[in-house]
Amino acid sequence: MSRRLLHALPALAFVLYAGTSAAADAPEVVLGASIQLTGPVANTGRYYRDAYQIAVDKINAAGGVKIGGVPHKLALKIYDNQSDVNLSVRQYTQLITQDKANLLLGPFASNFALADSAVSEKYKVPMVEGGGASDQIFSRKFKYIFGTLAPASNYFGTTVQMLKALKPAPASVALLYADDAFDVSVADGTRPLLKSAGLPIAMDERYSTNATDFNSLLSQIKSKNVDAVLVAGHETEILNFVRQAKSLAVAPKMYSFTVGVPSEDFRKALGSDADYAFGMTAWLPSAALKDRWFGDAQQFAQAYKAKYGYDPDYHAASGVADVEALVHAMETAGTTAPQKVRDALAKTRFDSLYGPIAFNAHGQIDLPQVVIQVQGDKLAEVYGAKGFITQPKYPMPAWNAR
Amino acid sequence: MDLLAQILANGILLGGLYAVMAQGLALVWGVLNIVNLAHGAFIMLGAYASWYLYTNLGVDPFLGLPLTAAAMFALGYALQRGLLNLVVRSPMFNTLLITFGLEVVLTYLAQWVFSADFRTINPPYAGNSYSLGPVTLPVARLAAFGVALALTLGMWLFLLHSRLGRAIRATAQNLVAARLYGVEPRHLYAVTFGLGLALAGAAGGLYGTVSQINPYIGATLTAKCFAIAIIGGLDNPLGVMVGGLFLGIVESLTTLYVGPTFADVASFGTLVLVLLLRPSGLLGKAA
Repeated sequence: MSRRLLHALPALAFVLYAGTSAAADAPEVVLGASIQLTGPVANTGRYYRDAYQIAVDKINAAGGVKIGGVPHKLALKIYDNQSDVNLSVRQYTQLITQDKANLLLGPFASNFALADSAVSEKYKVPMVEGGGASDQIFSRKFKYIFGTLAPASNYFGTTVQMLKALKPAPASVALLYADDAFDVSVADGTRPLLKSAGLPIAMDERYSTNATDFNSLLSQIKSKNVDAVLVAGHETEILNFVRQAKSLAVAPKMYSFTVGVPSEDFRKALGSDADYAFGMTAWLPSAALKDRWFGDAQQFAQAYKAKYGYDPDYHAASGVADVEALVHAMETAGTTAPQKVRDALAKTRFDSLYGPIAFNAHGQIDLPQVVIQVQGDKLAEVYGAKGFITQPKYPMPAWNAR
Repeated sequence: MDLLAQILANGILLGGLYAVMAQGLALVWGVLNIVNLAHGAFIMLGAYASWYLYTNLGVDPFLGLPLTAAAMFALGYALQRGLLNLVVRSPMFNTLLITFGLEVVLTYLAQWVFSADFRTINPPYAGNSYSLGPVTLPVARLAAFGVALALTLGMWLFLLHSRLGRAIRATAQNLVAARLYGVEPRHLYAVTFGLGLALAGAAGGLYGTVSQINPYIGATLTAKCFAIAIIGGLDNPLGVMVGGLFLGIVESLTTLYVGPTFADVASFGTLVLVLLLRPSGLLGKAA
């Protein structure tokens, strides 16, 4: 608890330096980031602080980064943007112009990355971000933004494939999404996928971010007898959605959510009501994912849990991949000069605990999503590139029959 | 038709919850002339208190409401005597600043103590529902609605008939005259603020059973309560009830017929309309 308390002193702690006791003489490379440590998005934002920190510590412990044969230590400079986009833009500007950060790590969430990438572009300092998946971030031909989250437009890609393969296949689909950069991208990407899969869209509704009342939408789902419900939103909304579905006895054949399902605290908050919920993840802590610093993804997950007391999800793994990508690029470029590192990032190709890291021409990674489902107290991998991995629990039973 | 009935039922139940959330804000505003910008944060504190009682001590959230309310009353009394009383006579801007400051402090304290994790108060019956023909009525919402009704009625009777209630109304209407009749405003203000917080605390417990709790729910709740208090009028708990119900129904119907993104447009649009057409609230006396 006391460690948690310490971490949560955000009102005071503007700056959290990496606790690396920078071995006396080794030159430092400063990685700057502005993260949501407080405010409404802090719940996921803090994963990035934790991820950047564990990666930096691990790499420094292994001797740091060899740039042109000289070992450098990594230092983190993190600001708390209080979940405020405007503040985060100011902080990134400050990181570059005043704090002289060599390179940038990203914030959480698409709307932040969308705004903050304008700063990295302006000052020509590369930013590798693992928190924004919206296709909008990468559609502006920016050269200094790189993203390690799978594209938002394809979040439901594997899910739609699975819907076709389910027996009986759902007869209608409801698509609900929040009105922000990420969720709108998800919806825009999912619509054509559903169409080409021949799944009729019975409801296509956009709702306000931070909505708390879903009773009206749920009543419509029930009255239209929708079979499959796909929700792109934030964890708070999805939590309310599931609780209210239960209290209104609305049980479609399946529902799936863009966020929440992979996160431990989400499943904890819902308890047994989380059962049957589908989600997706581009990352699972598998021993098959080898990593230069952590061994493999499984060992990483253990080390992470031991350090922070909670299981890492894909956000955390993506954050670690960001640090590793920058390190890799600095080593290849043999310099910390931002433009050179940027060119090296564009050509980067290596295996990590997060998966193979490589960026397309727009700077975005491409990773396939795996469909996951809460099954009892387990999180099961259900459907991947090669079809079913485990049998899904489908259709979802009525709430009073559980 | 079935859908419309269901949507109306949803709206009414939601409105009841809204009303109980706004009740404390309206009371404090009406009597002390303090727009308590920290009201939502106090609802959040009440929610955490109920959550703590339920999760760690196994106290049912509905049975725990009096406990939460009592603790919040004490907090409110102390805050008013020790802090807000310093600015109660100063321009409204000062009270806005101080309550805004309180909201920031409470939010960060909550994150410090409870972390940013989501919490829910999830007793086994929270997901149950009754069916009334084609309409499904969630048990927790129904119970919350009942509590809201009871609190409103209780408040109304208290203000109308009890000695203390009359003193509170007298102070709200004319401070000088009330003092001449022997009302001691310092104590009375503290009691009123305490009552406001007790109501917020109870509302928080109810909110936690139907929604989710995190340190940041306060600001949006304050905005909503503000709208309800204006729509309903400040001088009567029944008005707040009407305001809450009205808003709940408007939001639910907007979601159905116009689209979910417009729910907030509708509620704040209603607020503007009420301000234009009936500035003292739906049930307020004509100005």
